[in-house]
Amino acid sequence: MSIHTIEVLVENEPGVLARVSGLFARRAYNIDTLVVGPTSNPEISKMVIQVNLEGHSLEQVIAQLDKLISVISIEELVEGSKQPVRDTQPDYQN
Amino acid sequence: MARAHVPTANGTTMNGATSLVKSLEAANVDVMFGLPGGAILPAYDPIFDSTIRHILVRHEQGAGHAATGYAQVTGRAGVCIATSGPGATNLVTPLMDAGMDSVPLVAITGQVPSAAIGTDAFQEADIRGITMPFTKHNFLVTKADDIPRAIAEAFHIATTGRPGPVLVDIAKDALQTQTTFNWPSKVELAGYNPRITPDSQSISDAAALIAQSKKPVFYVGGGVIKANASRELAQLVELLGAPVVTTLMARGAFPDSHPLHLGMPGMHGTVAAVTALQKADLLITLGARFDDRVTGKLSTFAVNAKIIHADIDPAEIHKNKFADVPVIGDLRETITALIPALKSALAKNQPDLAPWNASMQKLKKTYPLGYTLPEDGSLSPQAVIERIGKISGTDTIFTSGVGQHQMWASQFISYEHPRTWLNSGGAGTMGYGVPAAMGAKVGAPDSTVWAIDGDGCFQMTNQELVTCALNNIPIKVAIINNESLGMVRQWQTLFYEGRYSNTSLESKRVPNFPMLAESMGCVGLSCERPEDLDATIEKAMSINDQPVVVDFRVHRDAMVWPMVAAGTSNDEIMIARATAPDWDSQEL
Repeated sequence: MSIHTIEVLVENEPGVLARVSGLFARRAYNIDTLVVGPTSNPEISKMVIQVNLEGHSLEQVIAQLDKLISVISIEELVEGSKQPVRDTQPDYQN
Repeated sequence: MARAHVPTANGTTMNGATSLVKSLEAANVDVMFGLPGGAILPAYDPIFDSTIRHILVRHEQGAGHAATGYAQVTGRAGVCIATSGPGATNLVTPLMDAGMDSVPLVAITGQVPSAAIGTDAFQEADIRGITMPFTKHNFLVTKADDIPRAIAEAFHIATTGRPGPVLVDIAKDALQTQTTFNWPSKVELAGYNPRITPDSQSISDAAALIAQSKKPVFYVGGGVIKANASRELAQLVELLGAPVVTTLMARGAFPDSHPLHLGMPGMHGTVAAVTALQKADLLITLGARFDDRVTGKLSTFAVNAKIIHADIDPAEIHKNKFADVPVIGDLRETITALIPALKSALAKNQPDLAPWNASMQKLKKTYPLGYTLPEDGSLSPQAVIERIGKISGTDTIFTSGVGQHQMWASQFISYEHPRTWLNSGGAGTMGYGVPAAMGAKVGAPDSTVWAIDGDGCFQMTNQELVTCALNNIPIKVAIINNESLGMVRQWQTLFYEGRYSNTSLESKRVPNFPMLAESMGCVGLSCERPEDLDATIEKAMSINDQPVVVDFRVHRDAMVWPMVAAGTSNDEIMIARATAPDWDSQEL
């Protein structure tokens, strides 16, 4: 199954949803569902994202998310078949 | 923060604009490139009194690339400043460029007053939204009290980990409001903890893999220069005695004169460098990212090689190419740790690299970089670039635009030192050359700085020569004038049956480059005949109190070789049109 659910803790600041959703869009990762809510700490929000990998590796999605300064931590909710995909990038002419 | 610096201004009341300038001073900024306008205007009043040198550019794009040139030469953050709306959007290209090439850059932009944000106010643009995809991070500051922390965090983020551009957008009212200045003594970000020290297990795994390898090659990228790890790299290479390739961003990371250096890999790499990667059984990847310009058709790239991938950015691991041994951390620390680990691994098992080295040296000797002189006796662009390199010497800093002249400058100039070759590698930004040279000269005023530019590139950003002339920044510019968008024309020659759609610039007729240069306060020279080449370069070298522009009017049809056509395999490298290397005579 290529759908995974990740829980992302982010800084509760303006624009943070755009940072996360923009990353998914520009790297061609598919979001199936996305829920944002508060945590007990008013400075931190929680996003629960269902990502449909479609050829991307979960490792790479998490690594790219983790580069966002506003992302504090990422956890996979239900451990799926998290395995690195060898050479996922298709050939192309550029 | 790298340097603890408590400014004496701490606790003083001032407006946000002064707080911004005090923050930049506290961040040890010595120069910034910019151009004022309405929203940033409050900041320009305290800039007038600051110890920071502000260089007034003619276009904000020039400010951005100049800041990049400064950063690439010094290793420190480059700083540029612009107003809201079009001022800020003119920084978009340099920010994207800096993001692609991991350049530490801090861009300050004015924003319309916070009450006006979202109203389509005069000169309003959502520059934070616009730059989100390619900045390492960005800020929108709407309160004066938040300015010092945002600036401190911006410099911390830009210069640590994998370097990158950071934008700080500040609303005009935040600059105008009174605040108590408070420079943070340290920066802590919950979501930002770059891994600096590599895991010791990964180091010993890497050493073990190297000691088992019979055909290893060092695949060296720009990260080695960013990490100031050239000296350590040289020790590691000497220890193993394996061949080295340096990517476009890594030219100068390892001396070209070293016998183990096979040159640049990739689309216009040497036969030896490209083949070394293809035939290796191990790539020791140091601060490189398996860019498509290096790998060619990915599924056919280095198919028999195991991969060690050392990088400070975990997201580069497995991005394009699976890594058997990832090593995440600062490259200088990584290489420093790898040297003793490899020593003990080699003590147990010393592989014989002689056959591999011999075949690579044979390739290097059989297929050196070269070019043929135009049959009509006109000036060869490669010869111009080669002679500039020879005459000006290896301490010179070179910048380039993007295209054929860039590839020739990477091929026919010998680079011996890091931070002497500046170009736009990932982004491929035409127009980078002149403003980057300006910034480089400001960062290294005692070095000779040559911009090797194309006639197309030069016409995009040459207005900064006015800035150079007025601010005593005597750069030298070589326009390799083939009156064409040369690289596009080369592709049209090779892939579009010579149908030269919109690539003829006619720049031997218009503009008159020497006159244009003179009008901007520079010395304008011209050279058309091979017999005048050395004398013209020497004339340019003799002028050190003014910028110099030389219009080298070169043959139009010269092409960049070798070439791996886009989308094809590195195995299909061509050394000239329709000419492949003679593989049958090679033992690999």
